[in-house]
Amino acid sequence: MLQKREKVLLLRTFQGRTLRIVREHYLRPCVPCHSPLCPQPAACSHDGKLLSSDVTHYVIPDWKVVQDYLEILEFPELKGIIFMQTACQAVQHQRGRRQYNKLRNLLKDARHDCILFANEFQQCCYLPRERGESMEKWQTRSIYNAAVWYYHHCQDRMPIVMVTEDEEAIQQYGSETEGVFVITFKNYLDNFWPDLKAAHELCDSILQSRRERENESQESHGKEYPEHLPLEVLEAGIKSGRYIQGILNVNKHRAQIEAFVRLQGASSKDSDLVSDILIHGMKARNRSIHGDVVVVELLPKNEWKGRTVALCENDCDDKASGESPSEPMPTGRVVGILQKNWRDYVVTFPSKEEVQSQGKNAQKILVTPWDYRIPKIRISTQQAETLQDFRVVVRIDSWESTSVYPNGHFVRVLGRIGDLEGEIATILVENSISVIPFSEAQMCEMPVNTPESPWKVSPEEEQKRKDLRKSHLVFSIDPKGCEDVDDTLSVRTLNNGNLELGVHIADVTHFVAPNSYIDIEARTRATTYYLADRRYDMLPSVLSADLCSLLGGVDRYAVSIMWELDKASYEIKKVWYGRTIIRSAYKLFYEAAQELLDGNLSVVDDIPEFKDLDEKSRQAKLEELVWAIGKLTDIARHVRAKRDGCGALELEGVEVCVQLDDKKNIHDLIPKQPLEVHETVAECMILANHWVAKKIWESFPHQALLRQHPPPHQEFFSELRECAKAKGFFIDTRSNKTLADSLDNANDPHDPIVNRLLRSMATQAMSNALYFSTGSCAEEEFHHYGLALDKYTHFTSPIRRYSDIVVHRLLMAAISKDKKMEIKGNLFSNKDLEELCRHINNRNQLCFLQAAQHSQKQSTELFQCMYFKDKDPATEERCISDGVIYSIRTNGVLLFIPRFGIKGAAYLKNKDGLVISCGPDSCSEWKPGSLQRFQNKITSTTTDGESVTFHLFDHVTVRISIQASRCHSDTIRLEIISNKPYKIPNTELIHQSSPLLKSELVKEVTKSVEEAQLAQEVKVNIIQEEYQEYRQTKGRSLYTLLEEIRDLALLDVSNNYGI
Amino acid sequence: MAGLELLSDQGYRVDGRRAGELRKIQARMGVFAQADGSAYIEQGNTKALAVVYGPHEIRGSRARALPDRALVNCQYSSATFSTGERKRRPHGDRKSCEMGLQLRQTFEAAILTQLHPRSQIDIYVLQADGGTYAACVNAATLAVLDAGIPMRDFVCACSAGFVDGTALADLSHVEEAAGGPQLALALLPASGQIALLEMDARLHEDHLERVLEAAAQAARDVHTLLDRVVRQHVREASILLGD
Repeated sequence: MLQKREKVLLLRTFQGRTLRIVREHYLRPCVPCHSPLCPQPAACSHDGKLLSSDVTHYVIPDWKVVQDYLEILEFPELKGIIFMQTACQAVQHQRGRRQYNKLRNLLKDARHDCILFANEFQQCCYLPRERGESMEKWQTRSIYNAAVWYYHHCQDRMPIVMVTEDEEAIQQYGSETEGVFVITFKNYLDNFWPDLKAAHELCDSILQSRRERENESQESHGKEYPEHLPLEVLEAGIKSGRYIQGILNVNKHRAQIEAFVRLQGASSKDSDLVSDILIHGMKARNRSIHGDVVVVELLPKNEWKGRTVALCENDCDDKASGESPSEPMPTGRVVGILQKNWRDYVVTFPSKEEVQSQGKNAQKILVTPWDYRIPKIRISTQQAETLQDFRVVVRIDSWESTSVYPNGHFVRVLGRIGDLEGEIATILVENSISVIPFSEAQMCEMPVNTPESPWKVSPEEEQKRKDLRKSHLVFSIDPKGCEDVDDTLSVRTLNNGNLELGVHIADVTHFVAPNSYIDIEARTRATTYYLADRRYDMLPSVLSADLCSLLGGVDRYAVSIMWELDKASYEIKKVWYGRTIIRSAYKLFYEAAQELLDGNLSVVDDIPEFKDLDEKSRQAKLEELVWAIGKLTDIARHVRAKRDGCGALELEGVEVCVQLDDKKNIHDLIPKQPLEVHETVAECMILANHWVAKKIWESFPHQALLRQHPPPHQEFFSELRECAKAKGFFIDTRSNKTLADSLDNANDPHDPIVNRLLRSMATQAMSNALYFSTGSCAEEEFHHYGLALDKYTHFTSPIRRYSDIVVHRLLMAAISKDKKMEIKGNLFSNKDLEELCRHINNRNQLCFLQAAQHSQKQSTELFQCMYFKDKDPATEERCISDGVIYSIRTNGVLLFIPRFGIKGAAYLKNKDGLVISCGPDSCSEWKPGSLQRFQNKITSTTTDGESVTFHLFDHVTVRISIQASRCHSDTIRLEIISNKPYKIPNTELIHQSSPLLKSELVKEVTKSVEEAQLAQEVKVNIIQEEYQEYRQTKGRSLYTLLEEIRDLALLDVSNNYGI
Repeated sequence: MAGLELLSDQGYRVDGRRAGELRKIQARMGVFAQADGSAYIEQGNTKALAVVYGPHEIRGSRARALPDRALVNCQYSSATFSTGERKRRPHGDRKSCEMGLQLRQTFEAAILTQLHPRSQIDIYVLQADGGTYAACVNAATLAVLDAGIPMRDFVCACSAGFVDGTALADLSHVEEAAGGPQLALALLPASGQIALLEMDARLHEDHLERVLEAAAQAARDVHTLLDRVVRQHVREASILLGD
């Protein structure tokens, strides 16, 4: 029988009035006690879990203990915990949903030995709150009362320990009932679990952080930052146009002051803002960190500021210089953060002296992140001294509005500062590349291919697939030593005289089932990373280098596209898509294929497939192959010409071949000769991609994965146009066609570097190519600017890119749809696909632009620095080189050094305010004076009246030195020592740099923009020389990141100099 | 403060009841001497008072008289002090009118109106706080019985709600205020006929059956209680009569 009681609540309304509410409260005689010792199990009607019977005592935490030490109570070692309902409600009301849910999950977890006892509904346990009794006291009293009841309910057979933080309660109840002990939590842990180290440590740290929080709340009355607005206000503000949403980008070179918010999607269309929004100062940035999605409020126009144009090393000379900044741009302040993009950061602890200067608070240490754009992080640790010489990973926990710096905690040690492995690990962590080996569960899904049980084509598949093994001559052309061959080609004459061109791509989806472990893993990796001394595969090597790799002379599954072409005009008449079985006859490398194409048959000896043949059949086969390559080239030329007509772009880029020796050391680095075969293969792949894109779009207009390359903003070309004007060229940027043409024309016969610099500037202006789902874009936006195609996707490298796997599945589904067959498996819906595209784009950008490209750059710099470190810049000849000015700033110039491929800044005004001047012998010195900047030149005038002018594209002599830094990577420093071009005095040096010059002269043009390269890649070239030197002294394999930007998006050569 | 948990993982509601349990019901018949019939009921903290006059001749306009049966006239009013915020006036607002109309429909279905052509039965309900309709119906049933007007059966009403996949019977004010779907059911328990069913929130069709069953079960429980009250009343009355 239920008993009715009334509970009177006094609530305070929002207006501040007190409201008296009467609520019913029903009590019952039997509440499940979940104890195996229960004398009337029938009445208690236990369902769900029981406490285990092998415990020595039951422990009942007080409400305060549950609130504060829940993390410790979660330890599976602690058994026999009874959570009272009163305590749970205290958590729910005072600690919020998150912690309450944690508690609920703990109670549901069958492995954990704890139960909830609904004491407030038990008629003997319920105690009404007395008049004037504080909530806390009543809660403690209720819990104690319930504990006593529980003890008697179990017939006094099990001692009960109630743990509380309330000293008074211990005094009052401690010895009231025999068998029910009341002690503090610390005391409990000490007495009952002296061996449970982890719990003790956690307990200490919780105590410490609580004490700190209390101190802090007392200390800090003044807030450092304004509070963030609540989410509803932000969302409403964005919708109404009052606020703007965007991604925060901190200027690396003025991290303290300047940050920009790049507008996102819809908001940029609505507002008439074209440029980014400047966030000036840390206060306006309001605790947001580089990469966060923030909401910005624009400041009134009279508070707008211009970005600083001067080169600077630290912010102090910013004010000193006092120059007029460029024209004001929209300026705003952050009012809220929509999405925090915190990741793991690599930091360096301050050295001993600095620690001492930080003074009183030795437990809290400000550490400096490796990335300039991240603010200092406050860590509380006692290991500061031992961690001093290490690179350390930390995580940010919180950033209160009362604190200048964010709070974080220490995660792990990477390695010693300056140690090669440590520095590489740093680069990897900073670019969020973390690749662990494939797990066992994933490997179990893989087919077996061992010498004992070789993999075979299964008969069922043989029936389903078209067999091309006998009928077609299939071959692949790849770089030398390539392991993962994912594309092969074939061409033949049909009976009616027409030609049949086939592109056969490895059938990865046959082995990778949707949503299998390996599929999920591949999706998160999204791509294969190629590093020089290591490679992080997207798929396990049994697939990537073996079963999916279309190697010569073995049967492999493939997905093929075959076009029937008119014999004369090469018009496409028919196209066939489907699954096939192929056997690649030849695995050619580019150079050999080119030789065959040129009619030079001597390379035959290099091709292993021809070795064991007798003269006659060899001759016949060779002729067949040569004909096929010739025909392919013909077709490719034709297709290319058609695309060129529409305005396909050629951009600056030099590709480099890497040759590794058997120890995986870099054996040689050869600039790839611009062979026509490259173009041929690339063209066939573009054709295949294009046709697949058309096919899947037709079949699934709302859920196909395509790749777009939006046209660039015209404003971004202004710098390019101005630079070209200085040299007397005109660049027409109105369309991709005119741009391509005018870039071709802008060629200075005396100075080949000019064209390269112009092309690299054009590359900078481009937007990135992106994957997208057709359901989320209008059809006009599908266009690919660089390739001049209306639809494009990635289909040809499923071994290396996850997007291609998705496209393969789409194509298979499209084929079965055509055959009116049921579509196997679920395709991604538009929404899921959009999500996936975002992930891959992110990964690509993160991993290539920042990881592959960035880490490449960073590691390159690392080696450059190591190279120059040993040299004394004053004496060493090699440290002096020729440089070209490619951009002008108010206090310096940006230089490109072709000899080493370095881009960097050189100051014309040093920190003491002295300017550079060049004497009659054209050697430079520092003298007091002033600088004047013009459109295309900068003039430095000394007080003596001497003046020297630097023009755009002038050649000067520079000295390269190293600026060492403890917390960050070392940087290269350039110093102009003469305004005359540098004469190379040493013949040996000329010899060394000759391959480079050759590679510059030979304008390597990768046909697709997709395959456009970075100017920086040239660097890799030079390092190779350095490697050999370096390796001699250190005798170990050097690390660099190379290669494989081949299939990247147009690279955003992110501007490092605050342009 | 986190949102209120209407049904805990252990299966308790906010006030300690389980999903199918009713609030405490207390009732008395014949509370007023002047009226033909009267009753007072408490369902938890909801308190309702009902009075019945009639059958008597039509008052006011004769045109309202029905040729073949009696006219049931219902009025609902709630005390101005009955809710959290004081009401302006006790009756005549839209909500009260609707409630009156619903009561009328319910009792037209239950009272054997054809026995009293051209006459009028007035039911006045005074109601206070929470779970309103059900308490009104139950009180009125008792009052009609007290007045000795022939009915087909008791009319027993109960509300039911739906939280986290469980149907809750007899919602309290807190549960009503949480905004979940709420269903009011008036049942003739002996025949199982439904006199009135009302719900104005969205509820998936799949769940309707369960919620309806919970409400019906609760209504049957109410019936046992009301039946006990009536028998008790009759016993007391007969003692007073000196049998």
